[in-house]
Amino acid sequence: MHRRNPSILPTLPVICVLLLGLLPAGPGAVQAQGADAASILNSRCAACHERTADGGLSRVEDMRKTPEGWDMAIVRMTIMHGVRIPAEERAVLVKHLADTQGLAPEETRDWRYILERRPNALDKAPDDDLATLCGRCHSFARVALQRRDAEEWRKLAHFHLGQFPTAEYQAMGRDRNWWEIVSTSVPDKLGKLYPLRTAAWTKWLDQDAADLSGRWRVAGRRPGKGAYHGIAAITASGEDRYRVALDLTYADGGTASGSGNAIVYTGYEWRARLNLDGESVLQVFTLSEDGRELSGRWFLEDLDSVGGNLRAVRMGPAATILAVEPAYLRGGTFGRIAIHGVGLDGEVDLGEGVEVTSTVSRSSETVVVEARATAGARPGARGVRVGGADAGGLFTVYSRIDSVRVEPDEAIARVGGAGGPLAAVPAQFEAVAYMNGSDGAAGTDDDQRIGVMPATWSVDDFNETAAAMKDSQYAGRIDMKGLFLPAAAGPNPERPFATNNAGDLAVKAVVNDAGRKIEGAGHLIVTVQRWNDPPIR
Amino acid sequence: MLHSFKKSALLGVLLALAVAPAAVPGAADAKDILLTGVKPDKIVMVDVKAREVIKTLEIPNAAPGNLTITPSPDGKIAYTIVNRWESVSGIDLDSGKEVFRADFSSGKTRVKAMFAMDISPDGKELFVFQSPVKLGLGEYEVQDTRVAVYNTADGIGAKPVRLMPAPRRTAVMSLSKDGKKLYLLNWDLTVMDPMTGAVVDVHKVRNWGRANFGEPDILDVWPQWETAGVFSTPYYVVRTDKSPDDPAAYKTGLLTLDLETDEFKMDGFEDTAVVIFSSVINPVRRNEAYMVYTTLSKVDMSKPLAERLVKRINLDHTYYAVNVSSDGTEIYVGGTMDDIAVYSTADLSRIGTIKMPDGGDQALSSLRLIQR
Repeated sequence: MHRRNPSILPTLPVICVLLLGLLPAGPGAVQAQGADAASILNSRCAACHERTADGGLSRVEDMRKTPEGWDMAIVRMTIMHGVRIPAEERAVLVKHLADTQGLAPEETRDWRYILERRPNALDKAPDDDLATLCGRCHSFARVALQRRDAEEWRKLAHFHLGQFPTAEYQAMGRDRNWWEIVSTSVPDKLGKLYPLRTAAWTKWLDQDAADLSGRWRVAGRRPGKGAYHGIAAITASGEDRYRVALDLTYADGGTASGSGNAIVYTGYEWRARLNLDGESVLQVFTLSEDGRELSGRWFLEDLDSVGGNLRAVRMGPAATILAVEPAYLRGGTFGRIAIHGVGLDGEVDLGEGVEVTSTVSRSSETVVVEARATAGARPGARGVRVGGADAGGLFTVYSRIDSVRVEPDEAIARVGGAGGPLAAVPAQFEAVAYMNGSDGAAGTDDDQRIGVMPATWSVDDFNETAAAMKDSQYAGRIDMKGLFLPAAAGPNPERPFATNNAGDLAVKAVVNDAGRKIEGAGHLIVTVQRWNDPPIR
Repeated sequence: MLHSFKKSALLGVLLALAVAPAAVPGAADAKDILLTGVKPDKIVMVDVKAREVIKTLEIPNAAPGNLTITPSPDGKIAYTIVNRWESVSGIDLDSGKEVFRADFSSGKTRVKAMFAMDISPDGKELFVFQSPVKLGLGEYEVQDTRVAVYNTADGIGAKPVRLMPAPRRTAVMSLSKDGKKLYLLNWDLTVMDPMTGAVVDVHKVRNWGRANFGEPDILDVWPQWETAGVFSTPYYVVRTDKSPDDPAAYKTGLLTLDLETDEFKMDGFEDTAVVIFSSVINPVRRNEAYMVYTTLSKVDMSKPLAERLVKRINLDHTYYAVNVSSDGTEIYVGGTMDDIAVYSTADLSRIGTIKMPDGGDQALSSLRLIQR
C-alpha cells in the first residue's frame, strides 16, 4: 500500500486559529473596550440568529461549549458567513458564553486530552458507530465537549452535510446511508448522552468564583528535558484575569523563567500565554473544585507537540508532596533524592528498605536527602512522607530493569517546512523502565513502572513495506533526547512514486542497566501535514 | 507543486495563442485529442499522438479548479464543473469563448454538482447531479439530491428544464448510447428514464447478494467510457468466510457496463494488492482494462481468474485518471499533478510525456478523449 495521496478534495484555506480568541493581549485590554457581551451579541449575531421568546438568540442559547468550542464557533461565523468581529469583541463573547453556557468540570474530565492538545492521545467514543460516524473526521472528544438537545444536534447534522457535501462519499461514510443515520437516530442518541440541561451544570453555576491570586508551588515534567519544579506568582489583573510569573528549575540544573497573562473561564478553565525564556508557551489547566490545585498541560505556541505536564498547589499551611526526583533508586545503591512540595516540615521517610542517611538541604518547598536502598529492599512503589505530608506512587525501589517501554508506544509526526506554510511536527519519546510483576513476564499488566531513563535512540523500518520504501532513510531522524524530527514536506523525486517523506517506523530505545542493555520499541507514523488544525481537533 | 513553478510564463502565453488546425469531426483524418483541466481555471487540449499541447483555454470564474469535463458529442464544446462545484461552464474549443453557463446557487440555496455529469447523444441536454442545501437564518437544511437537466442551447444563464429526484451519493452518471437510459452509480447502479426520472431498473452493487461476500465498495468519479462505450470502475470487497487476517479475504474486481447493450458485469481479478482509483476499457480488445493510481495495471477479464492481472508497473507518481486511444494502442494516465504520461497497451512501456502549461495541477479533473 502506498502513502502518497494528494487530497482529492478542493483546496481548502489553511485554518490555524489557535486560541486567538482565548488569550488576552494584556491586562485590562478587554475591559478597556467597554463593549459588553449583550451589545456585541445584538450587533454582531442578531442579524442572522433570531430573537427567541425568552429574549435569547436562536441556536446560540441552545448549546453549551468549552471556551475553545465557543471560539471556534465565532471563527466559523467569520470564515463561512462573513461576520466581521474585532478581536477584543471576540474575546468578550468567548468569555461571556463560556461562563454562562459552559461545561461543568465533571463534564469535561474525560476529554481534556483534546483541549490540552496532547499529541498522542487515543480518542475514544461511547460506541463504534459514533466513533465511525463522527470520529472519522474529527475527534469524538469534540462532540463530547458540547451539550445540546436532540433537535439542536439534528441542526448540527444538517450543517455538516451542507458544509461538507463530500462527507457521504468518503470511506466509512459511503458504506452506509450516512445522511439518513446522522439526521435521524444519531441526534436522538447525542441528545440523551450530552443534553443541554444537566444537574452538574446547574450545580456548577452556583459555585463561588475562586480567587487564584497568590504563590503556587509547581512541579511537572517536560518529556525530552526532564522533571522540573518551581514557583508561580499569580496576581489579579481584572475579573478572572491574572498576571503570572513562573520560575522553574529542571532536574538537570537548567532553569526557565518568564511571565504572561491568564484568563479563567467558566470558573475553572485556566488559559495562559507566557514568554518563557523567549519561547511563547500556552497553558491549558483546570482548577480543582476546591480551588487548591491547578493541573494540565502546557506547550509551545508554535509547536504544540512539544510541552509538558504541570501540577500546582497553593502555598499555604496545608502540606503537600508534589514530586520526588529522581523517582527511583536501585536496591543496594546510594542516591541523592529531592522532594518538592509545600509545607515540607518534619522527618523524611522514603518507605521500607530505604534509609535516609543525611539531609543535604531543606526548605518548606524542597528537601534534599542522601538515601540508601538496601540490597534486599522489596522492589516496588513506596509511600513518601515528610512530616504530616504523604504521597503514594511518586517513588520506586527497583532491583533490576526487566523491560523498557517507549512512551508513547504509538505516535504520529508530520513532515513540514520545505517552503510550505506548515512546519514539521516532531514527536517526543521517553524510555520508561519496568520491572516484571509476579508473573515474571515483561509486557503484562502487572509490570511495575520504575520511571523515565536516559537511552540511546534510533529508528528503523517498521515492517517489510517500510523497508522496501526505505522509510527510515527518508522520514526523518531522532536525537539522543528521544525527539524525532521529520523530514521536509512535498513530493520526493528520489522515492518510488515520488512519494513524500512519510514513513512507518519503529522507534528504539536502549537503556543501560548497570552494563546490561535493554531495548524497548515504539511505533511511529510519519505522515503528511495537518492542513486544518482548529483549537479542538 | 514544488518543481514546476519556474517555467517561463511566456511559454504558457505562446501555447495559449497556438491555434489548432480546423478539423471536421468524424473525418477520416480526425485526431485523438485529450481534454484535461488544470488549476485554477484552464482547459488544456492535447494532440496526443503528437505529444503536444495545442491549446489552453481559460474558463471564466472557475477557481479553484475544474472537476468533471463532459465534451459535446461533436467535440466542439467542453462542459466542466467549476466555481467550487457550483457552476457548469461550456467552453467553445475553437473560439475559446464561454458559450454555456449554469450557476446553480442562489442566496438562499447552495447547490453543488457532485462529480456526476453527462450529455445526451444529440448534444441538446446536459445532465448534472446536484446536492442542494437551504441556507436559512442561523441554520442549514439539507435537501434531497437530484439530477438537473439543462438545455445546452440556453447558453449563458441556463436554468434547469427538469429536476428529477436521484439517489444520494451518486458519483458517476452516464447516458446510454441511444440516450434512452440514464445510469447513476451510487450504492447501486440506478437506471433512470432521462425524460421522467422514473427508476426503470437497478443493477445491484451494494445489494448484489453474493454468498460469502460483503458489500462491494466503489468510489469512482472519473468518466472514462467514450472510446469503448463501456463504463468501468474497480471495486473492492471482503470475503466474509475468511479471516480478516487472511490477505485472500480482500478482493479487487472490475465493474463494467456496456452503454450500448446495458450488459452489466462485476468480476474479480486479484486479491487486493494495490489501491486503484480508476479504469478504462480498450475499444479494440474489449476484454482488456487499464487501471491507475501509483501503479498502472493491465487486466484481461477473458482469462482465467489467476491470469487476469497481465502486467503491473510502478508509475513515477500518482495518477488518478486514465484513458485510451481510439485505436486501442496507447494508454494516457493523467489527473493529479502536471503531466500526462503515455504507455503502450501492448506491454505497458512508457512512450511519451506531455507536460501541462505552467505546471498546473490537474487534480480531480477528468481526462476525456475527443476526435477532431
